[in-house]
Amino acid sequence: MPTASISLRDVGRTFGATRALSGVNLDLKPGVTGLLGPNGAGKTTLLRLLATALPPSQGKVNVLGLDPEVPAERTGIRRQLGYQPQEVGFPRGFTAFAFVDYIALLKEWTEPTARHAEVRRVLGLVGLSDLGTKRIRAMSGGQRRRVALAQALLGSPPVLILDEPTTGVDPEQRVTLRTVLAEIARTSVVVLSTHQTEDVAALCERVIVLDRGEVRYDGPVTDLTGQAAGRVWLADQPDPAAKVSWRTGTGRYRNVGTRVRDDVEHVEPSLEDAYLLLRGGSPEPETAGEVAS
Amino acid sequence: MTTALAPARPGAVARRATLVPLAAREMRRFVLNPLFLFAVVMAEWITWTGGGGTATEIDEVNGYPAVFLGGFGMMAAFWLTRSMRASEPVAGVTPTSRPARTAALCWVAIVPFCCGVLTLFGFLHAYPAGDAVYGPFSPSARIAVLVGQIVVPSLGGPLLGVALGRWVRFPGAAFVLFLVIFGWVELVTIVTLWHQDSWPATVLRLFSPFAFFTVQADSGGVTAWRGSPWFFIGWQLALCAIAVLAALLRGAEGQVRTRIVRALGIAGLAALILLVLAATGGFTHAVTA
Repeated sequence: MPTASISLRDVGRTFGATRALSGVNLDLKPGVTGLLGPNGAGKTTLLRLLATALPPSQGKVNVLGLDPEVPAERTGIRRQLGYQPQEVGFPRGFTAFAFVDYIALLKEWTEPTARHAEVRRVLGLVGLSDLGTKRIRAMSGGQRRRVALAQALLGSPPVLILDEPTTGVDPEQRVTLRTVLAEIARTSVVVLSTHQTEDVAALCERVIVLDRGEVRYDGPVTDLTGQAAGRVWLADQPDPAAKVSWRTGTGRYRNVGTRVRDDVEHVEPSLEDAYLLLRGGSPEPETAGEVAS
Repeated sequence: MTTALAPARPGAVARRATLVPLAAREMRRFVLNPLFLFAVVMAEWITWTGGGGTATEIDEVNGYPAVFLGGFGMMAAFWLTRSMRASEPVAGVTPTSRPARTAALCWVAIVPFCCGVLTLFGFLHAYPAGDAVYGPFSPSARIAVLVGQIVVPSLGGPLLGVALGRWVRFPGAAFVLFLVIFGWVELVTIVTLWHQDSWPATVLRLFSPFAFFTVQADSGGVTAWRGSPWFFIGWQLALCAIAVLAALLRGAEGQVRTRIVRALGIAGLAALILLVLAATGGFTHAVTA
């Protein structure tokens, strides 16, 4: 099987006067790549470009050796693509099985027996085997996201683009999904956008941090986390020298600063600490509650 | 729960192979639409019973199948087309293009078309072609009137619904269009009642996906208005083609788009010519029998 790959060269995307992406250069190989960034950083735009849902305003995108700007080649990419968008609406009256089956048909699974078996398989992967006949409108938000993920997994595609797949999914299911994605990533390019840094830390070997449409970091997760070594410490009070401080469950304060300190009680940095440092120590307003609580 | 992966998806198949099962799927969804089911029951009941068997001329009954199969069919097809709109972020990145999905939706119109044919037989059962309610039309023209008033609207209404669903976001658009067409037909029929031999009034009356051809005469007979029912069918079929092409145009790109635009031009020209022929052909003035 040829190695799946994606490349972006000087890719930019604008919406009117708004610049969503600028000068993005990336090479993606099989494995799970995490995409982090604040809201409005351009993550969804980048994923839509990779999923051929959106053309770039400038630069070249190449997916599996095919050019998405050429209609015939775009269809070729779509035959090898799984995409879970951030928001998916479901038609009224559809069950989980019927919806995934419908998408499978659009993905050219025309033979009913094979298609139904595949639909049952992907519903099983996301833990919805028993809920296949349940109407999607009657499902919880987390279950709906799993239906959306199930359709993306159809056929174990060489390219899997996932926009916040674990939002609203319970911890047990998240762990299961990590196992599924890790298995697929042996041969497929998996790009995962999320606000859950623990998912990236647990699953991804590579992380890309986007900010205002530009790549701020691109490299191994361990390297990014390593950048925070010596910069995270515990104290009984918020440290004025820290960029970010928050009270933990033990009652003590976790401080993250830009300077390496020797005179404090260091703790192992997390990816979230490193991400906050990279972002200049200013947590995004939308997630401030999560960070500071 | 298993995390075992399936073997790779079967090799890429031709788009045509997807079209047939997709069209069958959409047909099944359309047939189960409560509005369409209601429309079919009403249309069949009215025509097979001959509208109570008291009609003095055909247009007393013929409007009902057009309203139910054409009008309600349009609304059902509009709903069907719009139903997947919310899933477009997913459906839009599958190898089945939007024009291909639209083509599958257009095939759905076969169902109401067949219902229209059945309704035609029902009407002929209630009012045989030799009956006086048809007025002075020849035997073949009588069939043409029925086809134009029952069968073709049953096909065209749903096709119009698909085109509307592809282009218009407003959820009530099909109902509004139904009211507009209904109002237009009523208006131009009144105009024709006042100016029965007028050519412009005839053009206005036929400039519609549905038109009446007869009226009960004061003398008790049936008056046939100006116009050729045969060319009117041609005009209606040209409108059907325009609806299909307009629906397919949404999401089409490259050479396909160019071909559709060209075909739209040809269909538009054909429609115009057929409308003129429909208005100038047939009876040249109102005839009562």
